[in-house]
Order: sequence, then C-alpha cells, then structure tokens
Amino acid sequence: MSSTFDQIIVGEEWEDSDLSLLETLDHVLNRGIVITGEITISVADIDLVFVGLNVLISSVETAHEVLRKRQPE
Amino acid sequence: MEFSPENPLSAEPEIETSHAEEFVEQLRCVTDTLPSRINIDAQSVEQGLAKLVLTLIEFIRRLLEKQAVRRMEGGDLSPEQIEELGLALMKLEGKLQELKTQFGLTDEDLNLDLGPIGRLI
Amino acid sequence: MKLYAYCLVEDLDALDAATRGISGAAVRLLHIDEFAVLTSNFDDDTVAVTRENALDHAAVVRSVLDRTTPLPFRFGTLVTEQQLRNYISARKPALQTRLTLVRGCVEMSVKIIREHITENNLPAVPGEITSGTSFLEEKRREILGTEANAAEAREISTWLHEQVANLARDEQVTLRSSEKLVVAAAHLVERDKIPQYKETMTIARENRPELHFLLSGPWPPYSFANIELEFKSQFGVS
Repeated sequence: MSSTFDQIIVGEEWEDSDLSLLETLDHVLNRGIVITGEITISVADIDLVFVGLNVLISSVETAHEVLRKRQPE
Repeated sequence: MEFSPENPLSAEPEIETSHAEEFVEQLRCVTDTLPSRINIDAQSVEQGLAKLVLTLIEFIRRLLEKQAVRRMEGGDLSPEQIEELGLALMKLEGKLQELKTQFGLTDEDLNLDLGPIGRLI
Repeated sequence: MKLYAYCLVEDLDALDAATRGISGAAVRLLHIDEFAVLTSNFDDDTVAVTRENALDHAAVVRSVLDRTTPLPFRFGTLVTEQQLRNYISARKPALQTRLTLVRGCVEMSVKIIREHITENNLPAVPGEITSGTSFLEEKRREILGTEANAAEAREISTWLHEQVANLARDEQVTLRSSEKLVVAAAHLVERDKIPQYKETMTIARENRPELHFLLSGPWPPYSFANIELEFKSQFGVS
C-alpha cells in the first residue's frame, strides 16, 4: 500500500443548514469500507499494555508523581 | 413507502423529523470537527500508533481525574494539594488536546472497543 | 492515474445507465475476481469535501441499489487498480461474508435527541477556570452528571433495540451520553420489511414524546460495509 497521505480538503462554501446534506455526509464520511486499512489493536487487558508502553508512563508521569506523593503511608 | 418503478430504492433517501433545526445543529459537528486537512490514509504508521498511545493516555487521564475527584471529596487532601493536583491534570488535558489536534484525531477516534469490557471511554 | 472507488458489488454484467461520478467523470465497472467495483478516473491527489462531491458519491452508490446491495467505500477512497486488486484478493472471505450479510437489505437510520440533559445539583464554578481547584470542582460536576446521563442513554438505546429487534437483521449503534444527540442507530432491514419498519417506528415515536427523532433511509448499507470487524472477532485485533 502507498504510504502517501491522501488528504481531503474541506470546501470553503458550506450550505450546512441542509439537513439532507448533513445526513448524507454522516453516512459517506464516517462509514464505509476503509480500504487503506487502519491497524489498531484492541486490548482486552489494559494492564498488559500499561506495562509495555514506556512512552505512556512517561507522558502521565507528571500527574502520577503528584498523586503518588499524596499517598498516605 | 411503496417501492415501485416510479419510486425505486435508488431514489434519494427520505428524511423525516419534526425537529429539523435541532438535528442540523447536532449534525453540524460532522463538519465542524474536520480539521482543514484530513489524513485519511490511516495506514500511516505514525497516526495508527498515535491513536493507540493517545487513547490509552486519555483513558488513564480520566481514571486519574476520577481518582482525584474522589480524594477531594473524601476530604483527605489539603487545599494546596487539591490546587496542585488540579493544575497538573489541567496541564495534562491541555497537552493531550494539543497532541490530538496534531495528529488529526477526534474524541471519537480515541474510543477503543475492549470487547467484553465495553468501550474505553 | 488514480481511481475513485465508490462501492463493491457482487459481479454485475454492466451498469444500467451512463452514471456520472465525481467531477462528472464516467463511472465504470472494474471486474475483480467474483466482484465488481464501481470506479471513475480521478486526476488529483486529493478529494475535496464539497457538497457536490459528497452528493455525487452518494448518488453513484445508490444507483445500483435496485439491482444489488453494494458495500460502499468511504468517501475519498483513491486507489490504483493494483491496490484495489491486492485489497480484494487479500480479503475475499471477509468481503463475501459482508455481502451475504447485507444481501437484500438496506440501511435505515434513527437518530435521537433528548431535550434535557440531567442537571446535577452542584452549582457551576463561576468565571474562568484558572486554578487547579476550580478545574477539579468542574470535573466533579461533570463526572456526576456523566453517570446519570450514561444510564439514560443506555435505557434509550435498549428501548430502541426492542422496538425493531424482529425487523432488523443487524444494527450498529453509537451512544453519546453527554450529548443532546444521544443515540445514533443504523438498522439493516430486509427490503420487503421496510413498510413494517416504518410503521413500527412511527408508533414507537409516539410512545416517547420526550424524545426527538430523525429517521432517514433507505440507504445503501454504509454502516455495515467495513470488514475490519472481521479481524476483531477472530483475532482480538481490529
């Protein structure tokens, strides 16, 4: 598969008070076969992933540090 | 509705509501949340990974928020602690918002289906 | 030269009439294995989300609905013929399963707005949220409101499901418990059951005067086309 970005440019002119257009957009933009294929991983056990993703831990470190310091000993 | 040669299925769909304006207002979100350039090639590893990571961060962020509120209600945090905790969480929320925008992801995108556990958020 | 792909169908001999697609390009049938894909030539690298293009896309997908039930592609699907062939040959069983699921059906949409979002009793934090404390207090309000709204959303969704349970072959439902537009449902309904479906929904609406309904359809089965769901059920990957 190509790795180039296919981009949709949002048109400037919107007649967005048209309910039928909005309903149509809701169907054609958000649904249908996604051929370029998203590969996402759904996780059954959140703990596994938490341990495995260091980037996750470091990103929440600030808030987590604050909370940990507050733990009554 | 009867389907006949004069009214085939390939005709435009009917739309029926008694509250058109309300629905227009709600459905406008479809277009409002589109950034000016959308990357729909989600094969791009970058966006796929970002979506995964940000979803999990978002999940944990919400857990932390709930925990913080519970502790605040439980009365075991001093006013200074509450203030500091709130600021940290506020910054985290802001940072996450930035990252979401950067990768062109919406709140909807960050909502993994965990099967039996239900949706993430 | 890229192709704009509109939808995938069980093989057709030919298109009924000369259909025009995005930017007025002629729509052609591309035969791939036991399927066919409606395509048109597309010059650019990007597809603009304009009223015209969105309506053209919808019209092309709709044009085959009298003869067969298509699997629509998402708007903006630009591919080369080779990419299309690769995609299809790699996913044949999943595509067949989808086509079997939607065969003879159309999609009916129900969107529900509820008038009042349950207010909780805590006063709102006045003014701008500048301090950490105000931030947390506002979160507390949100969280309490959220739980009540979620319960309400689930009730509405369950009620809706019960109304059409014996009429819909499948359904896709989105709940947004903190929004006014609380439930958005897509029902996969056999074509000959559409009159009964509409009658059922008409009666159902009258039983819930506190809810506002938007009913639309029939649509091609946009919400039931994506085959990623196949992977999720088999391998825990979606």
